Amino acid sequence: MSPAALEITSIGKTFGGVTALDAVTLRVQAGTVHCVLGENGAGKTTLCDLVYGNYRPDTGSMTLYGEPYAPARPAEALAAGVAMVHQHFSLVPTMTVAENLMLGDGLRLRLPRRRLEARLAAIAESYDLRVEPDTVVADLPVGIRQQVEIIKCLVRDPRLLLLDEPTGVLAPAEIDALLTTCRRIAAAGKAVVLVTHKLGEVAAAGDAATVLRNGRVAGGGPLSKLPTRELVSLMVARSPATLDPLLAASLGLAPADLETTVPSIRLSPQDRRKKAALRLSGVTVVRGDGTTALDGVSLTVAPGEIVGIAGVEGNGQSELAAVLGGALPVAAGTIEVGGADLTQAPPRRRTEAGLGVIPEDRLLDGCLPGMTVADNLCLGRLSEFRRFGLLNRRAMDRAATAVLTDYAVRAAGPRAPLRSLSGGNQQRVVLARELALDPLVCLLAAQPTRGLDIGAVDAIVGRLRAAAAHGAGILVISSELSELLALSARVYVCYRGRLLGPVDSDSPTARDDLGRLMSGTDS
Amino acid sequence: MPDLMRHPLTVAALASVLAALVGAGCVLAAGVSPGAAGSALWDGMFGTDYAIGISLNQAALLILVGGGFVVAERTGLINIGGEGQICIGALAATAVGVNAGGLPAAVAVPLVLVAGFAGGAVWAFPAAWLKVRRGTSEVITTLLLNFVGLGLVSLAVHENALLRQPVTSAETLPQSEPLAAGAHLPLLGLVTSPATIAIVLALVAAIGLGILLRGTATGLKLTAVGLSAPAAARLGLPVTRLEMASLACAGGFAGLAGAALVATAPFVLSDGFSSGYGFQGLVVGLLGRGSMLGVVAAALLFGFLNSGGINLQLVAQVPAATVQIVQSLLVISIAGAMLWTREANS
Repeated sequence: MSPAALEITSIGKTFGGVTALDAVTLRVQAGTVHCVLGENGAGKTTLCDLVYGNYRPDTGSMTLYGEPYAPARPAEALAAGVAMVHQHFSLVPTMTVAENLMLGDGLRLRLPRRRLEARLAAIAESYDLRVEPDTVVADLPVGIRQQVEIIKCLVRDPRLLLLDEPTGVLAPAEIDALLTTCRRIAAAGKAVVLVTHKLGEVAAAGDAATVLRNGRVAGGGPLSKLPTRELVSLMVARSPATLDPLLAASLGLAPADLETTVPSIRLSPQDRRKKAALRLSGVTVVRGDGTTALDGVSLTVAPGEIVGIAGVEGNGQSELAAVLGGALPVAAGTIEVGGADLTQAPPRRRTEAGLGVIPEDRLLDGCLPGMTVADNLCLGRLSEFRRFGLLNRRAMDRAATAVLTDYAVRAAGPRAPLRSLSGGNQQRVVLARELALDPLVCLLAAQPTRGLDIGAVDAIVGRLRAAAAHGAGILVISSELSELLALSARVYVCYRGRLLGPVDSDSPTARDDLGRLMSGTDS
Repeated sequence: MPDLMRHPLTVAALASVLAALVGAGCVLAAGVSPGAAGSALWDGMFGTDYAIGISLNQAALLILVGGGFVVAERTGLINIGGEGQICIGALAATAVGVNAGGLPAAVAVPLVLVAGFAGGAVWAFPAAWLKVRRGTSEVITTLLLNFVGLGLVSLAVHENALLRQPVTSAETLPQSEPLAAGAHLPLLGLVTSPATIAIVLALVAAIGLGILLRGTATGLKLTAVGLSAPAAARLGLPVTRLEMASLACAGGFAGLAGAALVATAPFVLSDGFSSGYGFQGLVVGLLGRGSMLGVVAAALLFGFLNSGGINLQLVAQVPAATVQIVQSLLVISIAGAMLWTREANS
């Protein structure tokens, strides 16, 4: 038998006191797509970083096509024929596709344009990936940018291609195209490692899978011997039958596979009119360059109701979240929370009025990664932790420890920097902070589950439902249609700054209706 | 243990050894025996009560300027304007001090110091306001305000209508009248030492700022603003107010240093009186790396090296520039170590 394309032998890595990977062993055969599955924080990204030379392993060894392989930096990995598509794009948006493709080629006086074109033609031939080299990257839609990322790897003719959560930002059709590309690359004899937490993708593209849980290999093998249900129980260590339908949706499982149903809250029209948790009337937001980001958006969320907002990115959802959080000024219209006019209110007054906000970009204004977990949880209400004019750190630690336990956050302790937590655990901290508002009248959750693993999605969705059951109105903005439909009673669509719909999520045609509204083919 | 290697004290010690070696090289190049130069430096630093007093007075100024710098740095603002803030603080202090005749020291000294603090804070205010309203870089504005501040002192001590002392002859220097006796900073009373209560004042300020930054809600809020203003705003912190207050505080402490400077012998405001304490205080603040203990240590080091350097030139005929080279090397090696440790931690 020929040596494996990549063989990882009992590799381990710790950061500070936290073990990210522990004795992980993995074999990837050439000509196959090998899926690495696991929740966030399970060690998937760390594994990629080790193979790509971003970090060096503490223990264990790797071989690449039978030769010892220990890259000290990404340049060495590239030279050995390993290429990686990162979770976040690494293209320069203001440059053209061709310039981006040639960037990695080192210093040359004359750019080898002709060679590049020959290479692109060959790639188009073998993988059916076509790009226009003279387009500026910023003008390309997200799905095409991803293709450019992949082409950027293929130009170097790698032997092993790593893709770290490549589908997080893609529309369904784009995901299908990407998975087809993965198959083609494998068919050309290369090894592909696809890191994901979506089982639907594994089933569509993978030959073999390895499931990581808490930094260890939970199981794996050829997919022909691993049914989807088996993979689910390896990932979350419990039976798929107990999964929330929403989780199933986020895993790419059909809801019909499951027994539970969505408990939805229905309000009579009178109830809705009586006192709104959130009422937007004619809210208009103008961007810095004078274009209209939101155009007369009106919306009412009743107490106890969960309302969803869908839409293709860039249609005004981000601005809607920002204007509700108080980060953007309102050009026209009013915002009311629980009857109080907050149109011009600074964030502090919005919080006092009972408006919780989970911002879209956690790292921008959702939390302070450089501060400790306790600081992040208590920063908005430090007056509760004063003693003799000084901060009572012990009381802060106690409060934070309670939250860590209550929300099952994996952290080294209340004084651990928030940065040291995985994305899902950071999001739990943000959610805990916002849900701690008393009273919580309305919660805006912008992309609350983006990039999170199923365990975290489960926790967050459960908390959102519980908050609604306690009478808070909840507005969820998300790009995951399945999640919105499973979570909310009504779903609106943001399209070019206007709010279309709503679509009743119980309607059998809800998904198609929303799809039409999102693409603007239905008015 | 890499942690021990990256400990600030280890870094400081290694930097000092390197600087001392290069300094010894400079002394040899000047044709003086390192032994003679060393004893001259030592005498200038610790040899006499007088030397120690002068050093402590200088260290006090540097602690005040550097401590203020750290407060502004906490919110992510870099105050380059120490020099100008010293000037305006000193102007205000002089204006109060020369008119404080007859007042007892218990009244006049606090008045002078408060005037200095207010002057410095006022001088930082335009930069703070432009920063929060227009996003103008405070590095540029505070830097430029230095030149205006220096110019205003020059104007004040040259104009009879302002603070110039009465002109009685052609030899009358362009400087202010001496401050009234009650406004002089009291001496610490250490026999023949010129050390004033400025060092006590500075240490109290450093302890106070240290507690503010590390132990209070305000300190945590300042830190949050410095790490991410959007996140701090989302959490309801008054970001603009905190930014303005922290830069005004930096200006205030530099102004306080200015007041202490004119309330110490020879008790007059004159051209060039600030002798670069603003910039040296900035370096002290940087070397402190956000810690008040670090600021105090760096200020003492610089204060003693300053007066030692003067003696080096007077006694051993080694250019005082040697000491400046040593100081610069300390700055470079510690700043380099900062980058190095940051890289290793990321």
